[in-house]
Amino acid sequence: MRMALFQREAGGFPNKLVPSLTTLLFVLLSVVPLHIPGFAVVTPAFALMAVFHWTIYRPDLLPPIAVFVAGLLLDLLNGTPYVGTSALSLLLTRTVLMGQRRFFINRLFPVLWAGFLGAMAAVVIFEWALVSLLHGAVLGVRPFVFEAALTVASFPAGSYLLARAQRAFLMRV
Amino acid sequence: MAQRAVVPFLVLLSMMFIVLGKADVLLFDRLRVVIADAAAPLLEALAQPVATMASGVRHVEGVFDLYRENERLREENARLLQWQDVARRLETENAGLRDLTKFVPEGAPRFISAQIIADSGGAFARSVLVSAGGREGVTRGQAAVTGEGLVGRVAEVGGRAARILLLTDLNSHIPVMLDSSRERAVMAGDNSDQPRLLYLPINVTAKPGERIVTDGSGGIFPPGVPVGVVASVDSGIIRVEPYADLSRMEYVRIVDFGLGGVLPQNAMPLPRAARGARVVVPDPVR
Repeated sequence: MRMALFQREAGGFPNKLVPSLTTLLFVLLSVVPLHIPGFAVVTPAFALMAVFHWTIYRPDLLPPIAVFVAGLLLDLLNGTPYVGTSALSLLLTRTVLMGQRRFFINRLFPVLWAGFLGAMAAVVIFEWALVSLLHGAVLGVRPFVFEAALTVASFPAGSYLLARAQRAFLMRV
Repeated sequence: MAQRAVVPFLVLLSMMFIVLGKADVLLFDRLRVVIADAAAPLLEALAQPVATMASGVRHVEGVFDLYRENERLREENARLLQWQDVARRLETENAGLRDLTKFVPEGAPRFISAQIIADSGGAFARSVLVSAGGREGVTRGQAAVTGEGLVGRVAEVGGRAARILLLTDLNSHIPVMLDSSRERAVMAGDNSDQPRLLYLPINVTAKPGERIVTDGSGGIFPPGVPVGVVASVDSGIIRVEPYADLSRMEYVRIVDFGLGGVLPQNAMPLPRAARGARVVVPDPVR
């Protein structure tokens, strides 16, 4: 019902907001506690998935300001004293990816997945170095490695959802 | 073109925020509270189905090892009955001794139960957002516990949500003591699952398995709240395994011990508060 309503005004205003809105939704998702037994405190970095997906497929609909706001929201919800860290890393991800996005379009999913692995690794190393610097002590790498592994492992699920959203709302936009 | 300048501008802005956040914690504290308050209803709605699903999974798991669990509980029950006996005897003895020394007991604490609606999830912060705030009487500095032990302390309070800084966070410093020797130390989180014990007197040795409880002398926590056990002592680095399973909490209890006014609202950033004794809690024995 809702979908039909949205599609009727193809090219319209609400559909164009889907990338930004899903990115914000993924930010919220990444702070929802998953009480899965054996699961650590760390949850997948869903926000990075959204930024990765939309930067490759519809960078025109995910402007830098949306990436910035999403990163800032993530930092504020995270409760980290280093507000701006995620905003910075997401913005840099977008900037670097903008130059590489042609490579990923129309490739098989494993190629995309491998690309995401690279992006995640870069982000995690960057954040680890930055927070260590800000904190004034070298942080343990384990939580960072764990977060990266978890995120890369759950990328197919996130990517599937985003692709569905793209097909549903942005076919004609 | 103005479009081209957007990204560099935003990158610069992020960097400025990082530097600003490092210098002035208060500004972002306020902002965080506002955001948390605004997002609380949404997060609550998102957290509910996830929690239901998780408890469903646990339920199914429970059915499978019912037999083993039963055995274990029977054994534990036998052991606890012995302890109950001991506790009863000690209680009577304690009451008698208190009578003799005219000891003034502490007031009964008040508990505020709160659901966890968000956890930091990131790799470099350890805190949770709970669905109780100023409305329910939560104030900064209160201790958060589960049935097992201390979880952390309230760091920020909004109207309907509050942030609890977990024991394992980088900025968590909690005055504790070794239960057996009553030696004082500071338990500092370092982002790992097991916080470190700092500033223990040099001549004191901590042994693995030793119980750690909170120390009331800082005026921040009531004394004697169970925290954890010494997990390892490795070339001077003492690590504590918290009693509470911080990764699987759904609810916490925020404890109002009536030590109000210990941490002035907004007067100072909390991470530093744990270091110094700001208010001396009158010691009734003396």
